[in-house]
Amino acid sequence: MTISRKMLGAAAIAMTATAGYAASHLGDTSDKRIALSNNYAGNSWRQAMLQTFEDVAGAAAEAGVVAAADAFTTSENQATEQAAQIQNMILQGYDAIVLNAASPTALNGAVREACDAGITVVSFDGVVTEPCAWRIAVDFRQMGREQVEYLASRLPDGGNLLEIRGLAGVFVDDEIHAGIAAGVEDNPQFEIVGSVHGDWAQDVAQKAVAGILPSLPEIAGVVTQGGDGYGAAQAFRAAGRDMPIIVLGNRQDEMAWWAEQRDANGYETLSLSIAPGVASLAFWVAQQVLAGEEVPKDLTVPFLTVTQDNLDEVLASTPEGSVANVSYSLEDAQAVIAEAK
Amino acid sequence: MSTAPTKSALLQGFTRPWIWAWLAAALAFAATLGLTSGRGAGELAYAALSFGAFAAIVGMGQMLVITLGPGNVDLSIPATMTLAATLALKTMGSDPGTAMLGLAVALAVGLAVGLANFALIYLLRLPPIIATLAASLVYQSVAIWSNRGLRIKPPEGLADFATGRFLGLPNVAWVGLALAIAVWVVLERSVWGRWLLASGQNLRAARLAGVPVEAVRAATYVAVAVMAALAGYLLASFSGGAALNMGGEYLLMSIAVVVIGGSSIAGGNSNVPGVWGAALFMFLVVSTLNSYGAGAGVRNLLTGAIIIAIVIAASTRRVRR
Repeated sequence: MTISRKMLGAAAIAMTATAGYAASHLGDTSDKRIALSNNYAGNSWRQAMLQTFEDVAGAAAEAGVVAAADAFTTSENQATEQAAQIQNMILQGYDAIVLNAASPTALNGAVREACDAGITVVSFDGVVTEPCAWRIAVDFRQMGREQVEYLASRLPDGGNLLEIRGLAGVFVDDEIHAGIAAGVEDNPQFEIVGSVHGDWAQDVAQKAVAGILPSLPEIAGVVTQGGDGYGAAQAFRAAGRDMPIIVLGNRQDEMAWWAEQRDANGYETLSLSIAPGVASLAFWVAQQVLAGEEVPKDLTVPFLTVTQDNLDEVLASTPEGSVANVSYSLEDAQAVIAEAK
Repeated sequence: MSTAPTKSALLQGFTRPWIWAWLAAALAFAATLGLTSGRGAGELAYAALSFGAFAAIVGMGQMLVITLGPGNVDLSIPATMTLAATLALKTMGSDPGTAMLGLAVALAVGLAVGLANFALIYLLRLPPIIATLAASLVYQSVAIWSNRGLRIKPPEGLADFATGRFLGLPNVAWVGLALAIAVWVVLERSVWGRWLLASGQNLRAARLAGVPVEAVRAATYVAVAVMAALAGYLLASFSGGAALNMGGEYLLMSIAVVVIGGSSIAGGNSNVPGVWGAALFMFLVVSTLNSYGAGAGVRNLLTGAIIIAIVIAASTRRVRR
């Protein structure tokens, strides 16, 4: 699961898929159909996610590993709409549903119906709590904690932190925030002196930070949730403030800015997020379940961390304006499954 | 309208519906500075003018549509902003000297979107809410399809202009101010503006009086889309690229600034200075509550309560003509 794998291109992914098929000695899944139920497509992360699913699952379908792998996205990001979408998938007779859910609980009824109809449901990123479904979860708390720990390693004397949160009321926002809060509790040399909601969008984050900056003291570090670091940097620059250590979220424009700053004044930071390619991991997990493999219900996907050392490499492999990504192969999925056993 | 010389100037001031939005903005500004004991006043005002400009530009467009009368509203503003910005930045491709070309693309998108919206409303007789909401899904999809969410940087000169200043004020605020003056002149001093107000007050009476109401409606829906497109183009240049979710918060924002600004939600009465005051207020109130460390729940609750209070204050004191 290295970055370089991303650079191999679609042809290589097709080969990996075929090789993976040969390596899988379990049941034949060539007559199985897998659907992706996705709740939102309106940002670069989701676009990269859909692209990766198309590449990996499409290649697998072409190679005959599965009969079909179709992606569907709801238009309004509503749990009710997605529940109806899942019911349609049940009627269409899919064998497995790979699910990025609009809500951890509101889709449980529809997921239960799918399970009762004998359909394998693998949820990822936005996971569901229904016990019959598989969950490929990200340890968002750890993601928050790691940011504070990184800052502690860089700033042993501590200092004031600005926290940029995501979309209020969303599970992921609460989790990352809890991780950051726990990290600050363990590192009392830090104090969160300001908190704004950036909605995971550069322009919203820029606006919120510009609004709160005049009332803030000197800021040593900014903890973020991804998709908001570049906006924060713009706001600091516009206000003529010293640039703090802003933890980034793997967006290409953030990393390009980081590389620029590094070359100009030796700026150092850390960038971490979940790779949108987690959709391809979910696809292979669903395929493994269909193949009869014993797969634990709860799996954890590692996050993708970019450091000073591999910045150039990741930046080179990330399309302009997109987000750092990895495509997961069947072997990666098998490794994740083995680890959870 | 003749002004009564007996009234004191102050009292006269309070009868103007737009004064409440400006008062609220001033209070929010003062509250933030109270926390910092005056430090950062210039910074905060500058940020408010920068970000308020975008809300003011889309707000003035929305104001024109709402002035058309009950049921008229444009819900495709966010998608129009995204589509115009995406296509403009894709056309420019970060090449220097293409700013005008990008602007032309953005405005052309606005024109096309406005005409499409009006065609749905006029030819298919769809209610504007349904027509613009449905059409916005199409615009958003075209934006996704055209660039798959990739964020292209604006040309350097354009980015410098969008984030730069002139005479101490942000350039985007100057654009918003010039647009406000233009809209005010058109509304108050031109035949078209009178037609718009007449259509909004009573469509049937306006039609019988010989006002070309469908032409007025068409021009209004085009105007709002062009303003949204301009706001999208400026916002993308300002924040370093177009994103698929960039217009999201401007849907409710555009309606809120119209209502807070003292324009009648029932139409037939518009208020340009109020839109600017409300746009500044909407930025400042969030900044203030953030500065005081209010959580998201408290912040939304207070913002809602303050908006209701302003609307009540502005509407009960409205001048009777």
